Amino acid sequence: MKTFEENWTAWIDGELSETERAEFEATLEDRLGAETERNDALKLGAFLKRELQPRAMGNEEFFHHQLRERIAHEEATPVEESRPILRETWWSIRRLLWLGATSLAIFAVCTYFVKREQPAPNQSEYLTQILNSRVDPSVNPDATVSIFQTKDDKVTVLWVDGLKSLPTDYAAK
Amino acid sequence: MIRRRYFSALFALAFFLLASGQVRAGQNVWSGLVVATNVAKPQPPPAEMHHFEGTLKRTFGYNQFALIGQSRKALETGEENWLASSKHFSLHVDARGATRDGYRLNLQLFQDRQVLLETDTTLKKSSPLVIKGPQIGAGQLLLLLVVQ
Repeated sequence: MKTFEENWTAWIDGELSETERAEFEATLEDRLGAETERNDALKLGAFLKRELQPRAMGNEEFFHHQLRERIAHEEATPVEESRPILRETWWSIRRLLWLGATSLAIFAVCTYFVKREQPAPNQSEYLTQILNSRVDPSVNPDATVSIFQTKDDKVTVLWVDGLKSLPTDYAAK
Repeated sequence: MIRRRYFSALFALAFFLLASGQVRAGQNVWSGLVVATNVAKPQPPPAEMHHFEGTLKRTFGYNQFALIGQSRKALETGEENWLASSKHFSLHVDARGATRDGYRLNLQLFQDRQVLLETDTTLKKSSPLVIKGPQIGAGQLLLLLVVQ
């Protein structure tokens, strides 16, 4: 059992048999309106068939050539991408090693000459320095400390006075 | 082969030049406890004192320097500590790092178990350190430190 919409479409397209067409037309309430609508639909169909014809291609050979080129290119590209890229570079391991060693040597030579050109430290930098001294005041309350250096052989003397004198037996080894 | 030699020479040169400015390790520090006295026939001082014996004589006014205790320490890291001692005195030396041409030291002079003196110093190779200690009878206790 066809629906009304199916019968309607088949009626417009002229695909109903005589019996079917008579039965369907008997069900139409506004026969004249239906006829008008069918005529409009047929006109529209004819118009569309006429106007929507594919346009003729003027440069068919060129278009095919371009198409084949594009296909060939797209097929070739994934193969190239799948290959590892092995490019030759100047920065080989050996050259990097040589460059590093040479840079280190240049740095060392520069450092050596910069150090040589630095001004010589003054005399006091070669002498032993006393930074601080402490004598326990509870044991030696009168102790005093002084420091001096001899010029000839650069002896630094920490001179502590006021320590308690001790008997001779304290000189034992 | 030539390249390998060149490579080794480069590294040796770099190492030498860089190391030449660093602290010298492995030097000896001699520390001595000396009693200075005046005697009719003075005995020669310890060898470590030979080059500044005259200064000691002029400075302290004694003609004999008798060793009553000593210690010689080879410093590798500059962080070592050691003791030079006699029967009643001991000198505790605590090295606290190397400097350009010497060592930072903390010194403690003990009389038996009592600290008489404590001092911090930077001892240089070219400059011996002499510390005047207490009077002992007619003599004088001296503490000496020399980088050798």
